[in-house]
Amino acid sequence: MVQKSHSSKLKRWAIGLGLYLGAVALGLGSAWWVLKKAPWLNTTLQVGSWRSNLLAGSPDADMYTRASVAVNALLALGRDETMYFVAATDETGRPLRSACSYRIEGVPPTARWWSITAYADDMFLFDAPNRHYRLNGSTAKLDSQGRFSLTTGPSPVDNTHWLPTPGARGMVLTLRLYNPEPTLQASPASLVAPSIKRLGDCA
Amino acid sequence: MKQLSNTQRLWFYRVVALTVTAVLVHLLAVWAAPRLIMEIVMHGPMARTMNMQNQAAFPPPVTASSRTVVMPSPDLLYSVCAFDVSQGPVRITANPGLTSYWSIALYANSSDNFYVVNDRKAAGKPVDLWLVSEGANRTDHAAPAGSEVVVAPTKTGFLLMRILTGDYDVEKAIVEPARRTLACTKI
Repeated sequence: MVQKSHSSKLKRWAIGLGLYLGAVALGLGSAWWVLKKAPWLNTTLQVGSWRSNLLAGSPDADMYTRASVAVNALLALGRDETMYFVAATDETGRPLRSACSYRIEGVPPTARWWSITAYADDMFLFDAPNRHYRLNGSTAKLDSQGRFSLTTGPSPVDNTHWLPTPGARGMVLTLRLYNPEPTLQASPASLVAPSIKRLGDCA
Repeated sequence: MKQLSNTQRLWFYRVVALTVTAVLVHLLAVWAAPRLIMEIVMHGPMARTMNMQNQAAFPPPVTASSRTVVMPSPDLLYSVCAFDVSQGPVRITANPGLTSYWSIALYANSSDNFYVVNDRKAAGKPVDLWLVSEGANRTDHAAPAGSEVVVAPTKTGFLLMRILTGDYDVEKAIVEPARRTLACTKI
């Protein structure tokens, strides 16, 4: 009888401990999910495929923005210095994949300097053999209508500036605007967002 | 009203305790994430290798193998310093003398950017900052003439200098000497 009571108490403690560890795992897992997998919770603005959190780098940022920026874009600057827009989908809403080719087109944003960089889903640069990691204000060639164009993908598509994205994994594109014009700072939604079109089938 | 059995009561308390635990752990993790990441950046293995405690360090240009801080910008040449004002002020000086974009940004150990100066704000003049902690006494605030007093919200933090480089290989002879004007000195 004593043995049965002892065993029942032990079982109760084991269940309690298991549930407690489960609760800790749930707390940690939900924090990771919110910071890594739920970008819409940390977005204050979306223009086309491009999302931005205008509180990034600011002491006014809430706890979730601060943590999300630390995990995904550590040491960001405030919007008067630099504006960051990140695209994780093409213009039809499909997640960007490094095995697919994309054409990104647009007009130069109204900023002192701008660039579009391709990152793998771990937020680090692709190992591009030609060291083409980005297109920027000095390397972009504009057509007769003042538009720039670049492609990303496992291999070049045409003569357009090509950012290699080797491997088969998720990817994001980051649009950086250094010293954006005051009108754009005041109304970030007025950004004429570059389009992101998938080209053909994925490799 | 029906009385709860002992088993039902036990499970009721378990559910309440577990929900509270999960919520608290979640909030603590979100709060701690930027501080832990900053701690690794300021005092982790890479920081120790670069020897950047209260002195400027000059990492190599960004490539695919730059994997210390997420989303490194290949447009920028970075210089860094992990500051600690707990024992007194830290003086930061720089005179890049470039007409293209550069900036010096200071971050608290929570990752908040509390100060930034760029080439336009500096308007051709050298940067001279006298960084003190919030609780610093008046003596610590007595900065040399021409030095701007900046109060750091936390005793430790991080300095990141950015210099725009369209093409590092072409501009190396200009941007390397420019960034090496950065000094970060404990007084």
